[in-house]
This record gives sequence, C-alpha cells and structure tokens, in this order.
Amino acid sequence: MAMAALRREGRRFLLSPISPNPSTAARSAMLSEDLSPLGTRSISTQVVRNRMKSVKNIQKITKAMKMVAASKLRAVQSRTENSRGLWQPFTALLGDTPSVDVKKNVIVTITSDKGLCGGINSTSVKISKSLYKLISGPEKETRYVLLGEKGKVQMVRDSKSSIEMTITELQKNPLNYTQVSVLADDILKNVEYEALRIVFNKFHSVVSFLPTVSTILSPAVAERESESGGKLGDLDSYEIEGGESKAEVLQNLAEFQFSCVMFNAVLENACSELGARMSAMDSSSRNAGEMLDRLTLTYNRTRQASITTELIEIISGASALTG
Amino acid sequence: MASAAAGSSAAVPFWRAAGMTYITYSNICASLVRSCLKEPHKSEAVNRENVHFVISKWANGKPEKPTIRSDSPEE
Repeated sequence: MAMAALRREGRRFLLSPISPNPSTAARSAMLSEDLSPLGTRSISTQVVRNRMKSVKNIQKITKAMKMVAASKLRAVQSRTENSRGLWQPFTALLGDTPSVDVKKNVIVTITSDKGLCGGINSTSVKISKSLYKLISGPEKETRYVLLGEKGKVQMVRDSKSSIEMTITELQKNPLNYTQVSVLADDILKNVEYEALRIVFNKFHSVVSFLPTVSTILSPAVAERESESGGKLGDLDSYEIEGGESKAEVLQNLAEFQFSCVMFNAVLENACSELGARMSAMDSSSRNAGEMLDRLTLTYNRTRQASITTELIEIISGASALTG
Repeated sequence: MASAAAGSSAAVPFWRAAGMTYITYSNICASLVRSCLKEPHKSEAVNRENVHFVISKWANGKPEKPTIRSDSPEE
C-alpha cells in the first residue's frame, strides 16, 4: 500500500546521517520496545499486538470451556432431577429438623475438585463455618468432613483441627449411586455422630444455586425426638412388618437416608458447579472481548501516530534539504 | 455394632451381626441383581458400579496417608 511504501522510504531515509542526540535516543527507547537499529524512531505496535493475540486466545479457550460445561450440564441435570425422588419420602417420613440440639455434630461440606467455577465453593465453606459457630457450645463437639479439593484448601487455613476426613477425586468416574454409598458407608463407620449436616449448593437453574443444609439424625437421636412429638412422633403410628423392632428399622432407615441424601447432594453440587462454570466462563469471554476492543483502539491510535510521526520527519527532513 | 433393643430378643439380621451397615447390604444385593442381567445391559450396569475416590483421615490437624478406594464393582 502507499502508506507502507512511504514508511519504508522514510525508514531508509532516517537510517542515514541523523545522528541521535541523547534525548531522542532516550525517547525512542521509551517509545519503541522492539529491536530497531539505533537511530530510528518508530513507535512500536508490537507490544499491543502481542497482548491482542493472547487476549484473543484466552477468549477462545473460555468460550470452549463454556460449551463443554453446558453439554455436561445437560446430562447431569436430568439425573439430578430424577434423584430428588430418592430423599423426598424420607423427609416426608422423618422430617428435616436443622434446629435439633445434639452434642456431636458432623458437618459434611461438598465442594468441587476443579476451579474456575465462580463463587460456589466459597459460599459453601462460608456457610459451613457459620453453621459451625452456630451449633457450637459448651460440651458440644463439631467436626468437618470435606468432599472436594477446593473445600479442603479453604478449610485448612483456619479450621485444621476440626477436620475429621477429607475426600478427593470423587468425579474421576461419572457419578453413580454405588460410589456415593460406599463413601457414605465410610463416613458412617469412621465418624461418631448424633446429627449429620450436609452443606451443598442446590441447583435451581443455570444461573441460580442456593446453598442448602440437610440434617440427618442418628437413630438414637431420632428415637429421642420421636418421643417428644412432632413429625417424628407419628412414627409410632406406623406398623412395622417383618419382625424387626422399631430401633432396627430406624437404624436401617437412617443409614439409607444418609446415603440417598448424599447422592442427591453430590449430584446437585455437580450441577451447580457446571452452571457456575458456564456463567464464569461466559463473563470471562465477554470481558476478554471488551478488552480486545479497547486494545484495538489503542493499536489503531498507536499505528496512526507512528505513521504521522514518520511523515512529519520525512517532510521536515525534505524541507531541511531543499530550504 | 447395633444389637436389638434392650430386653427384646429379636434376632439381629445376619448382616448386622457381621458388622455391615444397611448400605453395604443393599449394595451387595444390587450388584447381585446387576450380575443377573444379560448383555448388553449388563455392561452398561457394570459401568454404573465404578467406585473411585481418595479418602484421608485427619488427626490433630494433620492429614494421614490417603487411602485410595478404587474398588470397581465391589465385593
């Protein structure tokens, strides 16, 4: 193009005898950070161009991550909605009483292993910590069981001594009931508890996840509560078939309830994680686009300024020769 | 683990006496049912039984060596 030819002309012209005095050398060093031969003054667009390239790459990556999260979400969402039917009968039978007063509490916090998913892990951890403060008291003991790498990292900072167990790499295989029930079994066998409180993010829609707490009572506590009336007090009105005692039935039910609620909680948290990642990556690509626009403007301004500078120099040089 | 309520001598189910929880019992029953399936449903069902996670107990604010529970279709 004419401009480029003129620029090449100008550069050749500049390379000859204009001896740089210190001030111009310093200025050119500041303006052009690339390797031009000493004596030339060209405002460089290289830096801006590099930034634009990297921002564009970031935008592509975040867009791809959003697509991946969206496709995974569709699959998990239907499973989550089906799994809600597992614990609803339990809540109808045994109730969910977060205000129960027990001595040994265990808070099971469900977080993700991977990052870049917005703020859901921080909200879960924050809720767990405030729940801890709420239910602590004299003679009461509260312990944490943490699922997921992100929760572990955040809790280790200030609540190290209250952690009972940490579990990671849960999502290596697609989530299934067997895995979660083996996990629930491990928790039940290794942790003494009177009430289990599961903290997770319940999935309402792609943009809304609400942190929830589900409470599960141990059979002994459930027995105690049933004596005091309320939802659990109706338990006696049920007939138990099969020659088992009420205590046994309660024990079986409590274990199974824990396993079902854990399954649902893990699925809901996975859904929320994918949804949060979608929106985080979406806002990230939008920010990258805006940044790209601003950089393009800067690039054009820099380019035009450098062309103008060169033109001025050519013309002043030419007029110095003729005049 | 649990014994029958004090006083009543209702027999504890055999699995409870052996130290299993109800969850383990139902998992074993489920894997028995899954192994009764015919192909191709059987391989799909077996995929649903994969277990993998890494569990590590903490004592006094320090994690102990993590144990990997990677039993695929278990017992």
